[in-house]
Amino acid sequence: MNALSIVQTRAGDVCIVTLSGRIDSTNANDVKDELTRLISSGEKSILVDLGAVRYLTSAAFRALLVATHEADHQAANFALCSLGGQVRELFEMGGLLEVFAIHNSREEALKQLGGSVLRAP
Amino acid sequence: MIHAVDVRVRNDVSDIGIVRDILDSLAREFHIPLEALTQLQVALDEVVSNVIKYSWDDGEQHEFLVRITVRPDRVDLEIFDDGREFDPMTAPSPNHAPEGQRHRPGGLGIRMIKELVDHFSYERIDGRNHTTLSKTCKVGTAIQK
Repeated sequence: MNALSIVQTRAGDVCIVTLSGRIDSTNANDVKDELTRLISSGEKSILVDLGAVRYLTSAAFRALLVATHEADHQAANFALCSLGGQVRELFEMGGLLEVFAIHNSREEALKQLGGSVLRAP
Repeated sequence: MIHAVDVRVRNDVSDIGIVRDILDSLAREFHIPLEALTQLQVALDEVVSNVIKYSWDDGEQHEFLVRITVRPDRVDLEIFDDGREFDPMTAPSPNHAPEGQRHRPGGLGIRMIKELVDHFSYERIDGRNHTTLSKTCKVGTAIQK
C-alpha cells in the first residue's frame, strides 16, 4: 500500500482523519489542504491517525505543522495517534515528538479529546 | 555486482514520483531490506525536492540527473544539477536559524538526511552541484527474469 489515502470518519465531536501510504513532496499538500479545510470549516477536535502510514518526509511534517498552527488560531484541538515504529523514528529524527500532541492509540486519543464522546450511544 | 540506473528528472515536484518508483523497482529486484528502502526513499525525497525548489529561480524548465547505484553492501544516490551553488552540509539546524531570519532551505530535511544515511557529501564541480548519499545495507542478487 503506497499511494496516499485520506479517509475521514467521526467519533462524536471528534473528526478522525486516517492517513495511509506514504506522504512525501508529491502529495503533502493534499494532506495540508484537507486538514486546513476541516479546521476552517469549524471542526474543533481533529485526530490524525498515522497507524497505516509507511513513511513521511519533511514536506509531510510541514503540512502537519501548518495544520497545528491553524488549529491554534481557530482554538481547535489537533492531535496525532498510532505512530508506527519507523514513522516514530522519523518524528524523532526531525526533533518533532515534542512539537505535536501525540497519543499512542486512537482509543487513548479519543479519551483525551472527547471523553464524553465515548459514552455516547 | 554493481547496477546503476540514471534518471533524468525535471524541476517539477511530480517527477519525484518517477525516481521514487524506480528505487522501489530496484529494491524488489535486488532485495533491498524494507527498513533501508524506507530510509532511502525519505532521503531521496528530501534531497531531490531541495534541488527542485531551490536550484533555479528563473521559472524555466530544467533537468538534472539522479543516479541510483546498487552495490553488494550499499546503495548510493547521486544528484548532479547545474543550479545555483548550495552546500547542504552547511545548512543550519531548523531550530537554530537566527531570530527574524527565514530558515535556509531544507533545514529539517537535511537534518533528517544526516540521520537516515551513512554517508552524505557535497561537491561543486565545474559549475555543477554533486550530492552523494550512501546507505549501507546487505543487498541480494538480482532476480533472474
